[in-house]
Amino acid sequence: MRKLGIAALGAAAALTLAGCATTGSDVASDEGAEIRVWLVGTDTPDAARDYLVETFEEEHPGSTLVIEEQSWDGLVDRLTTSLSGSDSPDIVEVGNTQAAAFTSAGAFLDLTEHYDELGGDDLLPGFVEAGSYDGKFYAAPLYSGSRLVFYKKDALEAAGLSVPGDLDEYIANGEALAEANPGKSGIWWPGQDWYNALPYIWENGGEVAVPDGDQWDAQLSSDESVAGLEQVQQVMTNASLAPKDGNETNPQVGYCDGTTLQLSAPSWVKWSILAPADAETPGCPEEEANLGVYALPGKDGGAAQVFAGGSNIGISAKSKHPELALDAMKIILSEEFQTIYGENGLVPAKLSLADTLGTDEVAQAIAAAAGNAKLTPASPKWADVEAAGILQDLFVKIAQGGDVQALAEEADQKIEDILNG
Amino acid sequence: MSALVAPGTQPAASGRPAGRPAASRRRRIRPSTIGWSALSVVLFALFAFPVYWMVNTSFQPNNEIRGTDIHFWPDNFTLRNYATVLFDPGRTPFAPAALNSLIVTLTTVAVALIFAFLAALAVTRFRFKSRRTFIIVILVVQMIPGEAMIVSIFRVIDGWQLLNTLIGLTIVYVATVLPFTIWTLRGFVNGVPAELEEAAMIDGCSRSGAFWRVTFPLLAPGLVATGVFGFIQAWNEFVIALVLNARPEMMTLPVWLRTFLVANGTTNWAAIMAGSTLMAIPVIVFFLIVQGRMTSGLVSGAVKG
Amino acid sequence: MTTTDSGPPPVVSSVDGERLAAPQPAPRRSPRRRRPTGGLTPYALLVPASIVLAAIVGWPLVQLLVTSMQEFGRAQVFGAPPEWVWFDNYVSVLTDPAFYAVLGRSLVFAAACVVITMLLGTLIALLLQRLPKGFRLLLSLGLLLAWAMPPLSATIVWGWMFDTDYGVVNSVLVNAFGLEQYTQHSWLIEPLSFFLVAGVIIVWGAVPFVAFALYAGLTQVPDEVLEAAQLDGAGGFSRFRLIVFPYLKPIFLITTILQIIWDLKVFTQIFALQDIGGIREQTNTLGVYIYQVSIAGGDFGTGGAIAVITAIILMSISLYYVRQTVKEEEL
Repeated sequence: MRKLGIAALGAAAALTLAGCATTGSDVASDEGAEIRVWLVGTDTPDAARDYLVETFEEEHPGSTLVIEEQSWDGLVDRLTTSLSGSDSPDIVEVGNTQAAAFTSAGAFLDLTEHYDELGGDDLLPGFVEAGSYDGKFYAAPLYSGSRLVFYKKDALEAAGLSVPGDLDEYIANGEALAEANPGKSGIWWPGQDWYNALPYIWENGGEVAVPDGDQWDAQLSSDESVAGLEQVQQVMTNASLAPKDGNETNPQVGYCDGTTLQLSAPSWVKWSILAPADAETPGCPEEEANLGVYALPGKDGGAAQVFAGGSNIGISAKSKHPELALDAMKIILSEEFQTIYGENGLVPAKLSLADTLGTDEVAQAIAAAAGNAKLTPASPKWADVEAAGILQDLFVKIAQGGDVQALAEEADQKIEDILNG
Repeated sequence: MSALVAPGTQPAASGRPAGRPAASRRRRIRPSTIGWSALSVVLFALFAFPVYWMVNTSFQPNNEIRGTDIHFWPDNFTLRNYATVLFDPGRTPFAPAALNSLIVTLTTVAVALIFAFLAALAVTRFRFKSRRTFIIVILVVQMIPGEAMIVSIFRVIDGWQLLNTLIGLTIVYVATVLPFTIWTLRGFVNGVPAELEEAAMIDGCSRSGAFWRVTFPLLAPGLVATGVFGFIQAWNEFVIALVLNARPEMMTLPVWLRTFLVANGTTNWAAIMAGSTLMAIPVIVFFLIVQGRMTSGLVSGAVKG
Repeated sequence: MTTTDSGPPPVVSSVDGERLAAPQPAPRRSPRRRRPTGGLTPYALLVPASIVLAAIVGWPLVQLLVTSMQEFGRAQVFGAPPEWVWFDNYVSVLTDPAFYAVLGRSLVFAAACVVITMLLGTLIALLLQRLPKGFRLLLSLGLLLAWAMPPLSATIVWGWMFDTDYGVVNSVLVNAFGLEQYTQHSWLIEPLSFFLVAGVIIVWGAVPFVAFALYAGLTQVPDEVLEAAQLDGAGGFSRFRLIVFPYLKPIFLITTILQIIWDLKVFTQIFALQDIGGIREQTNTLGVYIYQVSIAGGDFGTGGAIAVITAIILMSISLYYVRQTVKEEEL
């Protein structure tokens, strides 16, 4: 497959042919085909999975659709190999910040001409951007999560505090709670959880990195970003007793044993907290009445710009049944399928379905947060920055009380090395 | 001759008819033996504790292992974690993954032993041109970090249309364990004196007949010891398996175990410990079976003494 | 290849065969000199192993060398033609201070692990020899359990024991020893402490291999020799150094080389431990670094260059052993 440089021209020609082959002669008969869909993690509810399989098999008698659940852990590695191989899955979910690594590499089928069929301008714009490359549309939005602050109503009340109106008040509340309750976290924040730090940077007017011509300019050490990072350090050192190098898994444990009074986490954490006490990963359903939730407030009030985690979904360029895969994609982006996400607290891929989230406190908080969500730098190499763990390392060091300015400069250098390298 | 033999049963096999009784008589009267024995108990505890802790955790309810009290004994004994990893319909099931692992591992061991044995025979019993080169290559190959070659290996297996098959994975594992296996067997084959074969040939055996009747039985412990190595390697490998066999029905146990690690941000520690325990059991059982084998191989083959 | 799983100490006995080949006196040599040429037979015997190795190790190795001289990213995996950059990747690796930090860390860490493993392994082997049967069986069982534990599971369990909030280690230190400073003590956040934990996991898993190998060797040292030495008034240590050690030298040599190879390329334990805690950048070792650069980072060219450099370093470290082997093969 790989040839020496001299043969590059010939190789390029061969590849063009191969490219044609994928959508042309290599396409297998669609009779009795098997469509393999990779969903990652357990975010997609079972009801949605069943709906997808049943609907597809109904519409295409004789063909089958198989959902293969993959783990987030090591996903980029597996996609890199699997999508380039002959036994490629047909449809894959990929994290929105990872999508660019694959759209830019030509791993996905170009869906530009199907953009309108799949939802058009109703699709979440930030995610459409994440799934596009060079003016072409490759990976559609699948769902978005958003981050909320969960708190114990009684603890806030006991300390004489109320739901904060702006970011400074939120930080002050966290510190006050921690002070009033020794041995407890006013805001639980393990050092590796860098997603939570992004709003602080953005709200202070900073950025992670901005495009500068065809280069990227990392901005963590700008005055605005540093101001945000210092607030992060303030929270991590004064308000949080979470492990300084811990990761964000199992947030419900501290909440349920009472050592976490507030935490900022993806919206689904509500269900982890309220899981039955005898569940596999037990929660504390008795806390339901005491569990409060609000959107992280911004510097000047209102909802802060939070990181919009979520997924995109694309069709492998090597799919043997691109037509069938496209049909399955249409089901995935259908109103019925996406509504199930909304009902389970995930933001659906279409703007028009936002009201499926419901009208309770959580739903309002999600809607407020989602309306102001923001993404990481749209570079194909951003996934590599994440994979190298640069931001995790940065915030672990910040949590330890390191010099913010120096750490930010160091991180900027590394980010630029990767994005421009 | 073999390291794997339970040290307790070892001395009988080592072929020192004269020295041994004297030695044990001498040892019996040493007072320091008590001290050494006490030390051995401490060391046993140190080495076995993590394994105990794994098993202990696997029998506790999840809300207890993440509590403020540490339970050194599963007071509220539960089999729930095992039920979860074995039968939970929401998970990739254990049994098929275990079967895949078993098939791949045993085939790997068998094939690698045969191939390595033939190669070891070639380099120890014959003189030929590229013999030295082959031996050096076998040694050097073990020094290349494999992480960098995964994509190339993926390409090769893909080219053969063997992705997501047990055969493909087995071929890669055979190649993975071969260098070490050949290296090891070379030593064992070398250890069986060629004179024995020659003597048999004088008695009228053909060269191959002499080999099969005389040399081969003496190699049994060596084959077993080397097989254990291959078994452990293949059983535990996960990076290659993760990349080559992405289809859930083709998963092996280490990949299966990893699916428990980050599930929905809420890691089920007790289930992971139960899964780890299940995964370690076959290895331990294999060790125990093999030990007896090796001992008997030794007894019958205590020739060189 | 063997590297992907550096941890699990393989079976000993190579060593053993090795040993048999080496220190035996005179009568062995003559038949070996008369080793027959055998015509095509040896080549035929090598065919199966060679085919598998050529396809799964040889060809990828060639590709690795080629890739290491190319600009090879994720787009190239999906078919874009790679650009030939000759030694640019090597230059960029060798001028990158991050690489030297990783290299230095790996060398020191591997050296510490090898020395401690060999030392403990030797002492335990000597202890096994002195124990009455029952206790010997008990200790062997403990070693066996540690040895049989898959490295991934082992790292998870050890990581769990050292857990900041719920770990048994902190709990015991605080409750049994009254060391309050270990309340919520993070064992992985300081690089030195991280490597202490990683070292414990690796040594714990590797000592049984060395101990069993050396013990098997010890049982082969004729008692008469030891007794004679004792009569001459030789003390414990000099008895070991002058009489036992020469017998065991081949085993020492090969186990040490194997430990060096495994510990320098160690992947599973470090990789899994980084997931649990610690700062990646300060705890990367060669194996993990290669993985991060090439597979996770998508820069296969640079990753390939680092892998080749690592292999060359390992080869130069084991040069002495390779020479010895070759010399022995000349016989």
